[in-house]
Amino acid sequence: MRLNRRHLLVGAATLGTLSFARGGFAQEFPARPLQGTIQWGAGGSTDAVTRAVAPIVEEKLGQKLVLTNRPGGTGVIGMQYVHGQRPDGYNILFGAENPQLYGVLGLSELSYKDFYPLVLLARGTPVLVARKDAPWNDAKSLIDHVLAHPDQVKMGATGVGGLPFVVHAMLSAQVPGFKVTQVPFDGDGPALTALEGGHVDFMSAVFGAARERIRAGRIKALAAISTEPIEGLEAPPITETLPGFAKYLPWGPFFGAFVKKETPAPVIAKLERAFVEAANDPRFKEFCANFGVVPMGIGGPEAIAFLERWQSVTAWLLADAGAAKVDPASLGIKRL
Amino acid sequence: MDTALGYFLTSWLDPDLLVLVAVGTLAGIYIGAIPGLSVTMAVSILISFTYAWDTNEALALMVGIYMGGVYGGSRTAILLNIPGAPAAIATALDGYPLAQRGEAGRAIGVTTVVSFIGGLVGIAALGLAAPLVAEVSLMFAPRDYMLLGILGLLLVASLSGESLVKGVIAGAIGILVSMVGLDTMTAQPRLTFGSTALLSGVSYVAVMIGMFGIAEALVQLHTIGSPMVKQNVDRIVPSLATVVKHLPLALRCSAIGVWIGALPGAGGDIAALMAYDHAKKSIEKPSRPFGQGAYEGLVAPEAANNAAVGGAFIPMLTLGIPGDAVTAVIIAALFVHGLRPGPNLMVDTPHLFWFTVGNLTLANIFMLVFGLTGIRLFAKIVEVPKAILLPIVGVLSVVGAYAINNNLADVWWAVGFGILGYVLRVYGYQLGPVVLGVILGPIVEANFRRTMIGVHESWAGFALELVSHPITLVLLLGIVSSVLRGTPFWPRLAAKLRRSAGRAAG
Repeated sequence: MRLNRRHLLVGAATLGTLSFARGGFAQEFPARPLQGTIQWGAGGSTDAVTRAVAPIVEEKLGQKLVLTNRPGGTGVIGMQYVHGQRPDGYNILFGAENPQLYGVLGLSELSYKDFYPLVLLARGTPVLVARKDAPWNDAKSLIDHVLAHPDQVKMGATGVGGLPFVVHAMLSAQVPGFKVTQVPFDGDGPALTALEGGHVDFMSAVFGAARERIRAGRIKALAAISTEPIEGLEAPPITETLPGFAKYLPWGPFFGAFVKKETPAPVIAKLERAFVEAANDPRFKEFCANFGVVPMGIGGPEAIAFLERWQSVTAWLLADAGAAKVDPASLGIKRL
Repeated sequence: MDTALGYFLTSWLDPDLLVLVAVGTLAGIYIGAIPGLSVTMAVSILISFTYAWDTNEALALMVGIYMGGVYGGSRTAILLNIPGAPAAIATALDGYPLAQRGEAGRAIGVTTVVSFIGGLVGIAALGLAAPLVAEVSLMFAPRDYMLLGILGLLLVASLSGESLVKGVIAGAIGILVSMVGLDTMTAQPRLTFGSTALLSGVSYVAVMIGMFGIAEALVQLHTIGSPMVKQNVDRIVPSLATVVKHLPLALRCSAIGVWIGALPGAGGDIAALMAYDHAKKSIEKPSRPFGQGAYEGLVAPEAANNAAVGGAFIPMLTLGIPGDAVTAVIIAALFVHGLRPGPNLMVDTPHLFWFTVGNLTLANIFMLVFGLTGIRLFAKIVEVPKAILLPIVGVLSVVGAYAINNNLADVWWAVGFGILGYVLRVYGYQLGPVVLGVILGPIVEANFRRTMIGVHESWAGFALELVSHPITLVLLLGIVSSVLRGTPFWPRLAAKLRRSAGRAAG
């Protein structure tokens, strides 16, 4: 433990300094500590998932992984930073789903197409939740109420392209006339807090963030946005009420580790092996279960297929909801 | 109760944990003192570092850093006019003038003691009234946060110096700056002129470092040859009489700190500014005029920001809702350690509550001890010749600005705002209102928009919202009375009220 404390000081001292000697060949990779850039700030889910897997990756690679948060512009800042570095495998991007929407929202020309997924670590399942004294106990009664009172029900949201926004787009596509008032907050935490305080009526949120409040009865779950029941949640899958949802699913936020596409293949192979092994380590899986996310542990082609499907589903939902600033077709995003 | 006491004393009786709290507090004081190095960042780094540790050990260290860090921000605010953290902005207003008068040692002494008192009040509120306070804090709707923000913006009047107009202009500059960036509600870039660097907006810590640190260094260049102020370090520990004299104010401001700290949408920075304003309004005869080295101006924010620490833990431990950025990171840390922060945290892991209260109390004591030792040495910093001190301030500002997000753009912002701040200072503008505008602008704007969306953009509905809840009414009355006090009618109105009250009594 004493060693750890000394590491702490060293870590603080090297924070922000990136000037290690360049060079190193693939066979001896990694010859020096790796730099991990987290697209989001301290305390967020991406930060937590990254910091949970990092110590295991360090074990597998036998090198330090120095993590730095570079938040801002829904993750554009961190992504651009890593994209601006040499493609030598020493700079790793830890990101969430947002880059797959930069194109349609007109935020950046970058997306995960410019990167190689070393591993997709985990994904979250959204759940539909309502304030505890709301008159609905399932998705159907909520939908009926909204259809009878258009625009009267307040939905907690996190802005255009956020999880509640996309789930709402799915609902509107499946239920013609589903009109609610979306009140955007600075993230799912503040929105759930507003729901708990009764300032909005319902919303969708990732299960991990809502679970403890559901368990304590401070908010109630109406449905899981999935085709299968989720462990630890009584509410049924949404497909029982709206079978049409199946074509979007599985859908939800995800977290992964990426390097620039131009990184040499042997380096990618070594990193990918270490990251996939770490993501499948029982310790990380235990963290996932506790954090309320589904471990994925897939890299390479499997991950690329997941990323493309996710992008297609979401970008076209946004386009159909009139929220896309750039036509997905013009970006080469195919409609499924 | 015995078990609660047992949990409370866990860290007091375990040498390992005791040392960790102490190390955390000491490290926190220095992390807090360096602008740009934030407690949030430090605790976040600790999540990975303490991965293999026992949960109790990790928590002991984190709590120590948090408590020490909030206090540490006052050091550089008093000595160099650079608040180490946003929560110390108000501290610089009277703290730095005190250092210039040669009373830096005394100022730090008073700060340390009132921080300790504030910390204790926060801890007491956490230990005794947490569930109640947490429930009330949930009642704050977007409209209430909006009103709270407006109440805060009225502080411009307190911070304007000689000219209210100049203060309002400075505040407006701050609000304008706060609008830059991607609007999170609509994903619409505002005032970014197509630049990606502007997409994430301007970090208010960069503005703070520029406006206080760099601008101060530039202003000081005017008097670079003048001899340094000799610091009087005879009496640094405040006498009992001094403490007793300031105790009522410290307690009132601690109460403000607890409340604002417990609100999930506001933290120690706003608490400290509100407390400063409260001091300015409630103290009729300060030790010196405010802004020129009044001890009351030091007591108020420092009691409030340390009380906000206990306050921020209230919603976190009872409901799993973070009271500020640091408690948000601690929640993430608990997840990594296999706990489930949420409303059931106290049921699932009953020891955690009193263990944390115990650690906070311990950290508060260590803060007092570490804070009061070494003041003599610190006060001497101000005696360093300017030709040496000012470049150090410059370097510290640049490093601090870079450290916020590890982004070079923030350094340019700090330098840019440093130059702007210098020009403003030369022309008699105060810089406090600018920072106030940057911090509070988004709170008012976002919550105003939320309220309007909720009432379908109807002004009638909006007006109805403002009288729809007792909390809202209290905040509204606060704003109205605050504005009325500033008008010429107030003295007449007050006299009339007093007369009619007198008649009613007689």
